[in-house]
Amino acid sequence: MSNRADVRRTYDRIADHFASTREYAWPEVEAFVADAPASSVGLDLGCGNCRHAELLADRTDHVLGLDASRGLLETARSRALERGFEVDLLQGDAARIPLEDGTIDLAVYVATIQHLPTEASRRTSLNELARVLTPTGRALVSTWSTAHDTFDETESFDTTVEWTLPDGETVDRFYHIYSPEAFEAAIEDSDLELLAFELSSGNCYATVGGS
Amino acid sequence: MKESLLEILCCPLDKHELELEDAEYDGDEVVSGDLACSDCGETYPIEDGIPNLLPPDMREETPA
Repeated sequence: MSNRADVRRTYDRIADHFASTREYAWPEVEAFVADAPASSVGLDLGCGNCRHAELLADRTDHVLGLDASRGLLETARSRALERGFEVDLLQGDAARIPLEDGTIDLAVYVATIQHLPTEASRRTSLNELARVLTPTGRALVSTWSTAHDTFDETESFDTTVEWTLPDGETVDRFYHIYSPEAFEAAIEDSDLELLAFELSSGNCYATVGGS
Repeated sequence: MKESLLEILCCPLDKHELELEDAEYDGDEVVSGDLACSDCGETYPIEDGIPNLLPPDMREETPA
């Protein structure tokens, strides 16, 4: 598990089962979206099955869902049809976003940056998010962190976490586990403007503005 | 994808505009075709209605 195509391939393999375990939106994301002003264009970066794009669809005129995994995008397409919300799906890389500068008013980048395997790609993805946000645009960036009960570590580290398919087969997934301090520093060192930071259920949440 | 999406899409590599080529439609939806960068010439396929804008180094086909 060392390169970017591997991450995409992993999620293509586990897409259906993974999406079936990701039915509900996270309450922290619901609160962020509920507090946001009604907006024109929304983006769910690393959208998976689009459970959070579904929230954005209530607050924006037009929602985009971007993910590296085609398999996950198919689960998103099914969910949008079943639940009756509109989302434009794009296959792409969170570190090389295929959107023009200043086009996104409201974005969520939830539990995705932790799968980017290099420091450079994680930093670039934050700068890319800053680039695509409008001057008044807002985003919520979250990651799993060392503050979660799963971990004894206090410093950031790389690891693999097994995904177990229904037939018992396991698939390794790359994770970079940030310490809360390192994640906050990564946001502050990026082109994003850090507006608020909180820890909740072992996850870090940064509310940010664009560059 | 809707053709109007072209107004905000760009090449993931150099961020230049994309041009739609060889499009096939189902109503308002573009179901297949290519998005070509107006600058570097890289092309990105639209596959069953979803544009694949992964950079070439992440794009090789998925193993069965």
